[in-house]
Amino acid sequence: MRHVRDTAEAYTLLAPSLIGFLLFLVAPIFGVAGLSLFDWNLMGAPSFVGLDNYRELAADPEVWRSLFNTVYYVLLNIPAQTVLALLLALALNRRMRGGKVFRVAFVLPWMAMPVALGIVWSWIFDPRYGAVNQVLGMAGIDGPNWLTDPAWAMPVIASVNVWQYTGYTMLILLAGLQAIPHQLYEAAAIDGTTPAQRFFMITLPLLRPSLFFVLVTNTIGSFQVFDTVFVMTQGGPGGATDVLNFHIYQQGFQLFRAGFASALAMVLFGLILLVTAAQFLYFRKRTVYDFS
Amino acid sequence: MSRKIGLSMVATAALLALAACGGGSDDSGSSGGVVTLRYAMWDEVQKPPIEQSIREFEKAHPNIKVQIELNNWNDYWSKLQTQLAGRSAPDVFWDHVSYFPKFSKEGVLTDLAPLIAQDKVDTSVYDPKLAEGWKVDGKVYGLPKDWDTIGLFYSAKALKDAGLTPADLDGLTWNPADGGTFVKTLQKLTVDENGKRAGEPGFDPEKVKQYGLAMQAPTGQQDWWNFALQNGCKLQDKPWGRWTIDQPACVQAIQFVQDLRLKYHVAVPATVTNPPNGPSLDQVVGRGEAATAMDGSWMLRAFDTALPDGGFGVADLPAGPVGKGSVYNGLTEAIYAGTEHPKEAWELLKWLASEKHQKAVAQAGAVWPGISALNDVFAGAWKAKGVDVTGFKKAAEGTTMGYPLTEAADTYNVKALDIFNQVWLGQMTAQDAAKKINDEANAAIK
Repeated sequence: MRHVRDTAEAYTLLAPSLIGFLLFLVAPIFGVAGLSLFDWNLMGAPSFVGLDNYRELAADPEVWRSLFNTVYYVLLNIPAQTVLALLLALALNRRMRGGKVFRVAFVLPWMAMPVALGIVWSWIFDPRYGAVNQVLGMAGIDGPNWLTDPAWAMPVIASVNVWQYTGYTMLILLAGLQAIPHQLYEAAAIDGTTPAQRFFMITLPLLRPSLFFVLVTNTIGSFQVFDTVFVMTQGGPGGATDVLNFHIYQQGFQLFRAGFASALAMVLFGLILLVTAAQFLYFRKRTVYDFS
Repeated sequence: MSRKIGLSMVATAALLALAACGGGSDDSGSSGGVVTLRYAMWDEVQKPPIEQSIREFEKAHPNIKVQIELNNWNDYWSKLQTQLAGRSAPDVFWDHVSYFPKFSKEGVLTDLAPLIAQDKVDTSVYDPKLAEGWKVDGKVYGLPKDWDTIGLFYSAKALKDAGLTPADLDGLTWNPADGGTFVKTLQKLTVDENGKRAGEPGFDPEKVKQYGLAMQAPTGQQDWWNFALQNGCKLQDKPWGRWTIDQPACVQAIQFVQDLRLKYHVAVPATVTNPPNGPSLDQVVGRGEAATAMDGSWMLRAFDTALPDGGFGVADLPAGPVGKGSVYNGLTEAIYAGTEHPKEAWELLKWLASEKHQKAVAQAGAVWPGISALNDVFAGAWKAKGVDVTGFKKAAEGTTMGYPLTEAADTYNVKALDIFNQVWLGQMTAQDAAKKINDEANAAIK
């Protein structure tokens, strides 16, 4: 009987978030899946078109371009952000004067509003008056037109987001680092290991759970990049930063093709599901160490 | 890496669909007998005088409160159409020729004809050219709010520094071959960091301090459409017809706008002015980066704010190979068909279309009024400030071109923004851009 009561209690406690999850996540996903089978301009009556939207998007070069742009963005963003965050975490994972100040400073960008940041960064990257080109100009370098140059626009967007989210990633990795028992390093030092050996044989394996969490959540977030693009480039120049999420917005809320936009959203959903599943499998195969 | 999810955005649309089935919710609430009306617009320059006049309206109608919702042009239409889909649109909103056809077809606008008849509103006071534009099959979906044409705004100081007088800006001509006297004059107004003017030996086009001209137009209304008209280009084969901007006369006009920037170096580079992130042209001229700007009459108050007293004037646009010409357009206010307060919304609309309101707005110098007799009030208000704005009126009476009437406005507006931005940057040729937009916009016509 006690077991039943426990279960009931658990579900009672779960209920609020479960209802929220079903109502605001699961239901809309089904809603979008359904909508993706219709042609609807948001105003008139939707008409059923079966899989036409999916056929159209498979043959649409702009969709493929946005898919490529999204992957390009993820590849620019994730490695840079993770490596930078790891280096920062290692640097801050020691007793030092002012360490806490640095920690706060690195996390601050993460707390700021992406839209406001986008506007500020647009000024900083302004080709004529922006700080970046002013500094480059002092060094005698003629800086490019960052946000209007198709080759530079995406790296700029990616670097702004790296800057914004590295602090958050660093914080999680730092917590992971601090959970690694100190005795391991002492023992290894006695055995005459080099710092590099200690890093690769102790730190990295034991940091795996934190790295996994950071990689999975950041990758999902990266595939959904939107606000920086919306504020800084609107997908331009010439579609160079037209990522999937922006393309969905444009099709849905500027061209009012709700069905087509829903189909695109399902594609993005499927893509993220696949990548996340692959990450899960990769990390599951590795050993997990438990010191608790 | 946004926490905003694409899925959730479209999910919003899905929820809107559900909401649509469930009938509207009451968010334009009425409490204690007082009704709050939502009134949506996109121009912050016009907002203050309109708001002031609306306070008068509220005084006369103590049971009605008006809440103004302001969104800039780029966001206005996506927001409004999403609200229309969710049946939560503002009770009264600004309407534009390029979206009006779709709205009237979808039945989201209130037919004013019976209300006009019932209250015996005198519609003969409005410019008939403007009033006709809002009628479809005997139904009336708006009364003229205002009208506008495009002019050449200039900085008086920049003109004086170049040894020019305002009269030197009159009677200029351009042509696709060598730019004509228009480009020659703009060269005199373009100065590099060493004080050399464009066309002089030693002029450095890479280090320009002040350009002769600034242009910025999300659709073409304030830049190349005017040159197109002056060059004999037709944007469409007929109203409601197919786009024809890939024709030579149109491509030449697009090319000319690119040439002003990249060949003659007399226009502010697109890296500065490209919408949606570029500063508005009153700012560009106000900061001394450009001597003149092609802009609409609705921008007068903005230029007045950005420049010191007596610091600016307005000249005519140049004439092209086939003569003078300007884009001519006007707006209206529409009543949302799904409003919960049709009676109060009609009261507000009557006020907005009334002589009293339009006179107040004209006196503030915001926009040329829809009521013809008030044009002199507007011109007089600016004359008192030392600005002669009658050029806009002359332009309206001359050769004009309206906004294209098409079902493909969304597609044209979205595609044109990014594609023309590339042309102005020199990343795409005028011919390729014209063909691309033409094809895509025509494909969107069912």
